[in-house]
Amino acid sequence: MRRNWPVLLLGLVLLIGLILPLASGAAPAGFYVEVLLGGLMTGVLYSLVALGFALIFKASGVFNFAQGAMVLFAALAVARLAEHMPLWAAIVISLAIMVLVAWLIERLVLRPLVNQEGVALLMATLGVTYFLDGFGQTVWGSDIYKIDLGIAKEPVMILEQVFQGGILVNKEDFVAALVAAALVAGLTIFFQKTATGRALRAVADDHQAAQSIGIPLNRIWVVVWSIAGLVALVAGVIWGSKLGVQFSIAQVALKALPVVILGGFTSVSGAIVGGLIVGVGEKMAEVFLGPVLVKAFDLAGGGIENWFAYVLALLFLLVRPEGLFGEKHIDRV
Amino acid sequence: MAGERKIGAPILTVEGISLSFGGVKALQNVSFDVREHEIRAIIGPNGAGKSSMLNVINGVYHPQQGTIRYQGAEFHDMDSHQVARSGIARTFQNLALFKGMSVLDNIMTGRNLRMRSNLLLQALRIGPALREELEHRTVVENIIEFLEIQAYRKTPVGRLPYGLQKRVDLARALAMEPKVLLLDEPMAGMNLEEKQDMCRFILDVNDQFGTTIVLIEHDMGVVMDISDRVVVLDYGKKIGDGTPDAVRANQAVIDAYLGVSH
Amino acid sequence: MATQASDTFPRLLQHHAATRGARPAIREKALGIWQTWTWSDLLAQVRATTCGLAARGFRRGLNLAIIGENRPRLYCAFAAAQSLGGVPVPLYQDAVAQEWVFVFQNAEIEFAIAEDQEQVDKLLEIQPQCPKLKHIIYDDSRGLRNYSHPDLISFEQLQELGRAFDAAHPQYFQSEIDQGKAADVAAMFYTSGTTGNPKGVVHTHDSLLKAARMGAEWEGLTGDEEVLAYLPMAWIGQNIFSIAQAYVCGYCVSCPESAETVTADMREIGPTYYFAPPRPFEALLTQITIRMDDAGRLKRRLYDFFMAHARKVGPTILDGKDPVGLFDRLLYRVGDWLVYGPLRNVLGMSRIKRAYTGGEAIGPDLFTFYRSIGVNLKQLYGSTETAVFVCIQPNDQVKPDTVGPPMKGVEVKVVASGEVLIRSPGLFREYYKNPDATREAKDGEGWFHTGDAGFIDRDGHLKIIDRAKDVGRLNDGTLFAPKYLENKLKFFPYVKEAVAFGHQRDKVCAMINIDMEAVGNWAERRNLPYSGYTDLASQPAVCDLVRECVEKVNADLAADRELGGSQIARFVILHKELDADDGELTRTRKVRRGFIADKYGAIVEGLYGDKGEVFIETQVKFEDGRQGMVSANLRILEAKIFSTAAARKAA
Repeated sequence: MRRNWPVLLLGLVLLIGLILPLASGAAPAGFYVEVLLGGLMTGVLYSLVALGFALIFKASGVFNFAQGAMVLFAALAVARLAEHMPLWAAIVISLAIMVLVAWLIERLVLRPLVNQEGVALLMATLGVTYFLDGFGQTVWGSDIYKIDLGIAKEPVMILEQVFQGGILVNKEDFVAALVAAALVAGLTIFFQKTATGRALRAVADDHQAAQSIGIPLNRIWVVVWSIAGLVALVAGVIWGSKLGVQFSIAQVALKALPVVILGGFTSVSGAIVGGLIVGVGEKMAEVFLGPVLVKAFDLAGGGIENWFAYVLALLFLLVRPEGLFGEKHIDRV
Repeated sequence: MAGERKIGAPILTVEGISLSFGGVKALQNVSFDVREHEIRAIIGPNGAGKSSMLNVINGVYHPQQGTIRYQGAEFHDMDSHQVARSGIARTFQNLALFKGMSVLDNIMTGRNLRMRSNLLLQALRIGPALREELEHRTVVENIIEFLEIQAYRKTPVGRLPYGLQKRVDLARALAMEPKVLLLDEPMAGMNLEEKQDMCRFILDVNDQFGTTIVLIEHDMGVVMDISDRVVVLDYGKKIGDGTPDAVRANQAVIDAYLGVSH
Repeated sequence: MATQASDTFPRLLQHHAATRGARPAIREKALGIWQTWTWSDLLAQVRATTCGLAARGFRRGLNLAIIGENRPRLYCAFAAAQSLGGVPVPLYQDAVAQEWVFVFQNAEIEFAIAEDQEQVDKLLEIQPQCPKLKHIIYDDSRGLRNYSHPDLISFEQLQELGRAFDAAHPQYFQSEIDQGKAADVAAMFYTSGTTGNPKGVVHTHDSLLKAARMGAEWEGLTGDEEVLAYLPMAWIGQNIFSIAQAYVCGYCVSCPESAETVTADMREIGPTYYFAPPRPFEALLTQITIRMDDAGRLKRRLYDFFMAHARKVGPTILDGKDPVGLFDRLLYRVGDWLVYGPLRNVLGMSRIKRAYTGGEAIGPDLFTFYRSIGVNLKQLYGSTETAVFVCIQPNDQVKPDTVGPPMKGVEVKVVASGEVLIRSPGLFREYYKNPDATREAKDGEGWFHTGDAGFIDRDGHLKIIDRAKDVGRLNDGTLFAPKYLENKLKFFPYVKEAVAFGHQRDKVCAMINIDMEAVGNWAERRNLPYSGYTDLASQPAVCDLVRECVEKVNADLAADRELGGSQIARFVILHKELDADDGELTRTRKVRRGFIADKYGAIVEGLYGDKGEVFIETQVKFEDGRQGMVSANLRILEAKIFSTAAARKAA
């Protein structure tokens, strides 16, 4: 029998936590759905950042701490370039910059460190993180910048017939979710249906074998880091247009760490589902669990949003270290 | 029954190869050649340096001394993927397949070097990219039929039994349409029937595609029946070289094999 | 359906090429894609092959051996031989070469077409013994490129010769076809009888086509059927379904990619019409049982629950005769959605309109399983000599223990000895060069003596119990039908083969082969280590498992008025699997009881003695033809006998 029960138990607790506010009547249905949607929206962003982590980890075994910095860097580039040119041109040029960054990272960091200990690579990506943070500010400046996607920011009222008072949603959020979904779909097609995608999967599966059949590792790494750059760019633009481009993006992007623990380090679908779970979970906890804790223990309240994801990740490390969708190593004899 | 195969001039020559790791001398001044279209075996007891030799040819190890000439040109400090690019494919003793990928995808990766069309066209599957994909798929399907693995196209390789995984490994190497095929203990860990099948496949590959085959084996028996010429290594040195019959009669070889308990 | 004027195979082929030339005739999966020949393609291929054969000297009255799996080109050669007035003789491709020697000598075969290197090697091996064999044509040239034998020619080369010949003699093909008569011999099938040399059963165009037509009309077949041909062409059943009836109706036959891909190919093709002996049905069910045993608990519960319901109401719903309650009907619907539908899909039986089993009795539980999940499986009765069709169960009269009423145009009678006699348009002409055997089997009035024992029940259905010569009596006079018992045992997934003894004995004893796959799996789930068949078969836990099966059969038998006294008292689990290569089974995998009784005389003695153990040493033939010895100490096991009176009262 597989040892699934701790995960089932955890899932059950989460599920109850999710349904309880609605079932107990503590929250009106409309408000509840609003919170849910808000959580999903944040979740999409977490998913995107986690996706970058997972892709790089899968293909090159590197835990890329710099993913958050890449998001900030890309967002800064778009925001500042857009001041001088149309937004689409700024995005295209930023993408080119991200590919260049990927190429430089491969050339200057990964290639010299190939076959080194994992810790060395981890330290190297930490270095890249601080360099990108700093260098980004040097080049682009350190103020708060805006990215304007040209979509109305006014919330729209929908489903007024279904819920009392309707639900307030942001049109921009919808567009963002659509873009993120399109990106994931595009990546899936790329990985499953193209020769390069096949080569990427091959490298992720076994470096040595891939090399022996003539797949050039270095070029594959550039491709993977470029894709991570693209994902970072999309996340950066969405985030920047929502909250403005500022240094805190890099910090928030660290939330992707618990997300990949939840989803499994090597799993693309894990990153997506994990991101949504964390997004919804922390928002729900903040809005509904918070007041309960305040009342029960006479606490100051608030701040649950900041630690919820990490506690969840910790629980997962205890009961299912390989994550939701991660590879379990079953050796067949 | 079989007619004469046309064995040609040497296609691969190794001269005076020495390789050591720290103080351990894995190969000492080893020379031999491989002629076009022949089946060439490298045998020897465990630890004789067979795999090191293969890894030298394959570009995984770079020997301290000696040269390798392939198709007339010397090659130097090439890494594995450059070697692969030049038409030398290999299989692995301890299977290095992409376990999570399907049999079909595994074999298709063998075509990677020959893919030409750009990414965008590939993704959209239009025009030249579609035609190219179909061409590659035809080659791969022929190999699938050749190695009789039709029933497993969509099966993840990790779920196949060992004998079949070995066949997929061979299929992937064949998909590269190599001039020279290096087989690293293709029969290790197989039962008698699987060994016979593998022998038949190796002979058929050699016969049908004219592929030159360099074969490493630990077990003398099977190899002697299918090889044209045999190199015998012991403790990193060459102790015999010639036709199977000549090698069998070679006293140094007999001593080396008798000296090792099996 | 073609008119009566198309009274030979070649003329039917021309008819279809003219009337439905663009429709698919035969399909083969090659390079992962289904490649189709239309009826026009097939005719063109046959024409080239016919002329090629003619160019090589094949002529009217000669026999052409056809050896291989179902392949379009072999089918093409089949028709080519017929076009020239010759006789195709399909042979079992998995036979060892020596088994063919008799056939080649008996039929004076000069021409043979073989599928691949393996078959060519076997033919070359027996050529010294069969000096008449002068032309060997091969389909797949793989591995044969360097064969420089003068008698070898590839199929492509043959067709090239043919096209040149055709260009030089453009009238030849048609004139040869025109010479053909319905009464000519169309094909010959060698039956691997249980004793003696095989007999060549001679069928004419008339007998094969009339039988095929009779079957097609009875069952309402159309040109839109889909058939997957994967059983040997040498088996009359496959031949009738994939050639004679395809020619009569004009439907398309598909050839699987390889023997291992049959299940997947079934799923892709979705046959509408399916015929197999019980064994493949049994193998499929065993696979499912194993998979369900390995499945998660929820899945297994679901399966068990809905299968119980299916057994209860499924067959009745399929029959459509008796009313079924609304709730049961609804529950069956749900089951169909959750279990039966997916199951049919996995089996590749989603589109099946009619499936048949025949050639051997089928265990009632096995039979009911398929009907309960909505597969219209029916029994038919027939043999090589009758070109299959004698009895078929009509759609609304399916019973697990009969083979249905005689078909229209077939006469059946049971003589005093219990033997079943048949007269039908599909009856064979004779046994090839064997007038004695022909006289023995076919009497002056044209009745064919089947050698089967049976009777006609109240509804007019024929019920077969056993081979007439095998039905015997115990010393106390109790009726003993060995096959009946063996079939009951073989229904258990753990039992692969069984041989029962009891005629002129005091009690019934049996030898049993376990099913390596099913029992192996069972053992793994219980963490029982074993090294191979012999070791597994001797494990005490396995003995208990088999004993349970035997005792269940006994309990069942106890309720039977006639056979209740023939319960199995003692049995052994054999140390090796019964194998056709060792002569223990026929090529169609029927047990050769007499041979086994001789070969394992020591075991039989042990069974009827009083010791608990018997030592046995036997010779085995490996696949490569080498021989070896296997020996073992077999435990003799006792099974519980149930009181017949009590069982009948309970029932």
